[in-house]
Amino acid sequence: MASIVGGIGASHAPSMEHIYDAGEEVRESDEWQPLFGPFKQVADWLEELKPDRLVVVYNDHMDQFFLDAYPTFALGVADTYPVADEGFGARPFPPLPGDAKLGWHIARSLVADEFDITICQALEVDHGVISPLPMVDFSEGEGGWKIPIVPLAVNVILHPLPSPLRCWKLGQALRRAILSFEDDLRVVVVGTGGLSHQLTGPRFGQVTPDWDQEFMRLLAEEPESLTKYTYKQLIELGGTESVEVVNWLAMRGALPDGARALVTAYYAHRIMGYGLQTFEVAA
Amino acid sequence: MELTQDYLARLDAVQPKELPTDLDLFDEATATRGIRLNKAAYSLKDEPQRELFHSDEEAWMDQFGLTDTEKDLVRRRDWIGLWRAGMSIYVMVKLSGVTNTPLPEIGKQMRESGGS
Repeated sequence: MASIVGGIGASHAPSMEHIYDAGEEVRESDEWQPLFGPFKQVADWLEELKPDRLVVVYNDHMDQFFLDAYPTFALGVADTYPVADEGFGARPFPPLPGDAKLGWHIARSLVADEFDITICQALEVDHGVISPLPMVDFSEGEGGWKIPIVPLAVNVILHPLPSPLRCWKLGQALRRAILSFEDDLRVVVVGTGGLSHQLTGPRFGQVTPDWDQEFMRLLAEEPESLTKYTYKQLIELGGTESVEVVNWLAMRGALPDGARALVTAYYAHRIMGYGLQTFEVAA
Repeated sequence: MELTQDYLARLDAVQPKELPTDLDLFDEATATRGIRLNKAAYSLKDEPQRELFHSDEEAWMDQFGLTDTEKDLVRRRDWIGLWRAGMSIYVMVKLSGVTNTPLPEIGKQMRESGGS
């Protein structure tokens, strides 16, 4: 049977793509080391943990899904996920390997648990997935992805959004889905997005480091307290676009009670509060 | 009664209300207002649409039934006007790409806008 062996929360942002693509020297510069250094730690941790699959809870930014038919939750059941062209040409990565069999199992389990997701046999992933993923799942030497993924997209851009409590429960359902999968796979659950940022209006560029750090503390120590926040509160605390943090909450909901925060890194820089947090799960 | 306090509280919380005036939402009002502009800017994720934008911006706009006011906002690269007209930031970045507008320029206009 499959098991969940860890969790990762990570910001996603086009800026992370620009810096990654600029090469190792820029990633290790004084300006970006505070973000990319901790990612290296996470990559080393994953190297040791040797997961077979990453289930990635993320959000699309109108690169795969559009307002004509916007899914609240959407799950990939494909064997490959091409990189989306977000309007500037797609980044030169090969398609990400998937796991259709695991995807379909998760689809059945979520529906059995009354999470009626949109089921996607074709899905292009945007920076919601592939801005943090190369840092932990790509071998530059071999030019290939290492760990297959199953993507699960959450609507965090077109209100009404699924509530933080609903996203937590989605994580719990995702846990049951993974644990009931027949193959002997070691799975790490990833949640991407946030932390604080504001891309519209007079507060453009505002970040709120105190709240971001409090969010990561609560996620580690008392995650269920975060299910009581309303979107109005989350927006006031972290900015309109910061509501992506519910993807982290879903990830945390998939972990057992005893999960323990391992790496916790935070870097408020320019217009983003960048967060990175890993969770260790006792064997 | 069927409409319990619990239900009514959930219904109330699902639509954030009375946000400070300098914060905004992409919701029914915005999505309705911006329906043509969003469709137009979203199209730019496809290379042929970007080529058409470059070769004949007016023909590109004609595909989406934009109003004269909306077309004018696009022609003038009026980012605040486009935002107020309901354009989502996520498709606005596609329009910023095709017009070579750096995000900090949009940010500068946003900060000076005084709100929605």
